[in-house]
Amino acid sequence: MNFWQLIVAECKAILADKAIVMTLFGGVLFYSVLYPLPYLNQVPTEQQVVVVDHDNSSLSRLVTRHADASAKIKILANVNSIDQAQTWIDQGKAHGLLVIPANFRRDLLLGKGATLSYGGDASYFLIYSAVAEGLVSAGIDASKQVQLIGLLARGQNPQLALQAVNSVNINSVPAFNPSLGYTPYVVPGLFLLILHQTLLIGTGILGAGQWRKSGYWQQVRPVTLVLARLSVFMMIYALFSSFYLGFCFYWYKVSVVATVVEVGLFMLPFLLATGSLGIYLSSLFNRRELPTQLYLLVSMPILFVSGFVWPIALIPEPLVLASQVIPAVPAIMGMLELNQLGAGWSAVMPKWLQLWGLFAVFATMAIVAIARKQKSVSVTS
Amino acid sequence: MRHLFRRECKALWHSPWQLALVSYIPLIGVIALWWLFSAGLPRQLPVAVVDLDNSQISRMLTRQLSANAVIAPRSFANEAAAIEAMRQAQVYGLVILPYQLRKDLLTSKQPTIDIRYNSQFLLVGKLLSSQLQLSLAEGLTQIGEVSLLLKGANKATVDVSLTPISNQTTALFNRNNNYVGFLVPPILIALWQLLSMLVFVNSVNAELIPQGERYYLARNIWPKVWVKVLFYSPIMLVHSGFILVWLYHYLALPVSGSLWLLLLAQAFMLMALWLLVLVIFMIMRDSARTVSFCTALFAPAFAFMGITFPVNDMPILAKWWRLVMPSSHYIDSHVSVVSYGVGLPQVLTQISSYWGFLLLLPLLYVLGRQAQKIPPQGQVSLPVNLEVNR
Repeated sequence: MNFWQLIVAECKAILADKAIVMTLFGGVLFYSVLYPLPYLNQVPTEQQVVVVDHDNSSLSRLVTRHADASAKIKILANVNSIDQAQTWIDQGKAHGLLVIPANFRRDLLLGKGATLSYGGDASYFLIYSAVAEGLVSAGIDASKQVQLIGLLARGQNPQLALQAVNSVNINSVPAFNPSLGYTPYVVPGLFLLILHQTLLIGTGILGAGQWRKSGYWQQVRPVTLVLARLSVFMMIYALFSSFYLGFCFYWYKVSVVATVVEVGLFMLPFLLATGSLGIYLSSLFNRRELPTQLYLLVSMPILFVSGFVWPIALIPEPLVLASQVIPAVPAIMGMLELNQLGAGWSAVMPKWLQLWGLFAVFATMAIVAIARKQKSVSVTS
Repeated sequence: MRHLFRRECKALWHSPWQLALVSYIPLIGVIALWWLFSAGLPRQLPVAVVDLDNSQISRMLTRQLSANAVIAPRSFANEAAAIEAMRQAQVYGLVILPYQLRKDLLTSKQPTIDIRYNSQFLLVGKLLSSQLQLSLAEGLTQIGEVSLLLKGANKATVDVSLTPISNQTTALFNRNNNYVGFLVPPILIALWQLLSMLVFVNSVNAELIPQGERYYLARNIWPKVWVKVLFYSPIMLVHSGFILVWLYHYLALPVSGSLWLLLLAQAFMLMALWLLVLVIFMIMRDSARTVSFCTALFAPAFAFMGITFPVNDMPILAKWWRLVMPSSHYIDSHVSVVSYGVGLPQVLTQISSYWGFLLLLPLLYVLGRQAQKIPPQGQVSLPVNLEVNR
């Protein structure tokens, strides 16, 4: 059996296996739609807030209107007491409250100062941050207006008064993900993880199904088999990667900085390392349902340890060190730096070399494992 | 009935993987995921500070930044180096204090302080953005105070005229914005749902009878399924109970309601989950394919819970899909009990949202009848050879 015949045999074995086809082609397509689905609206807007207005003055109504004008907030109702606001929140009808104290306007006009209280439901952090940001900016706005009126009343020149109110411009701009959207945040890391997990599952099911029976895999040298299997999976995953990193990134409006060559060059050791890890681990399975189950359970920990959801500096050191042997972990971070942050090739070079190192180790392990499998199966048969 | 239970015990005992799924895998998973987030509060996040002014005021502002627990300022000599560090994710934010900041402030021109924060890491970026502005605003108020005092303003009125309205923001139900309290419970519930699904799928898969090219089910499948439900429900509830005890007793996260209510809600979630799994199992009737399909279905459950991204802002299709996931129904009760401290009546109302799953019962019955129609033995059952043997 020469190399080309082996490649053809591998292709046939993959395509004839319904479970593999369903996981690889079905899974990759299905996940590309399903995972980003909840996040398609990108930014939480119009969070429901109730107002407890103890003042009922022109100024308190102005603050309420300004809060409602914020895109992040929708004023639902004006309730009588904080207790009533609490029932609204407990019933899930509102997620935040704004309390305007009694004598709000009077105190401000007398120059005594007043305090606006905001509350947001921090069981949901995005809701909380939207409510807090919206209400605080409305409060600051009202504060500046009061300041300005005060200055003008004291006979200050309007231009100077404006300047005194805003003595410094703070120009705060988000970088790399200018819209603060949720899909550009989740998709780049998550899609690499999906590629990683489906590749592991595909090689796992293929291996677990084959080792039990004698077949073409016994008739070739282990090195040749690993090379042929990697080549076939590389061909399939070149397609999937182009779909995910090309079309899906464009579709989900992920910001892309790196060139095609750089992305391809970085994906190569990632896919090779993952593929050889999958082949090695497949030698440990003897039932076809096991790989899917095991890889399903580890996917959430891998996602969170990769460091784009929760900063790596806060993850316990032993976990970070242990996770470095999983190809997805250096790949997700490296790819984000290369493709989303624009760090340049020299910056991701260590991670790239790490992936090549992982590939060398896993490929050797896979070859040894397959050699052992071939011997044990030929002994039993 | 008793012999069916004994049979189930024996099956569990003889399957190492199944035994692992109900014993140490959940424990390892729960502890590992908690450990990952155990820092709880994001602190000391590196931020690049480029001080082009090097004046008393700019140094004061830098000190203000380092006084904030979230921010750990790192000094950079020029913008280029700072931008490079930001691109390599070594710092999560960048503050540029401009040249002649002090002079501009003294001569009442409006200098601009530039802040850039890494929004690719949304969680860190949003937090830094608000904290950086807060710290700088605090420092700038002090400058304003001095200038007002110099103009001869009364000390008592200075504070009020600088910030006539002060803000008091409260994070309800999670006072210090602890990520363990916010993120870990839904993650663990998602993990628990996956585990329960796998345990049940593996258990029912063992009942398949190969016949020809397809698999069928025995006549007495229903008692067996009942026994499985009665057998595995308490086991999985022990694990979810462990999660609750671990989070709300050992780690002492705040909880206002009763944990028993949550256990009740979890029992209903299990029933709904297993109903769904049974329907898929009856349709597929192939162990590897059932596992693959259930995996595909339940793997993204966490995204649909609506904890990280609010439900109200999901597209309508996602809202519908969400209703298919038992975990999304449960998590509503979880938040209500833990945060709002609701009682039994409200939890029961929330549980009634599972009504759609009842529609699966007649479907299940029909599918079960189909699956029990084993073709007569006479048919030649040749295993299809998929291997390419040469």
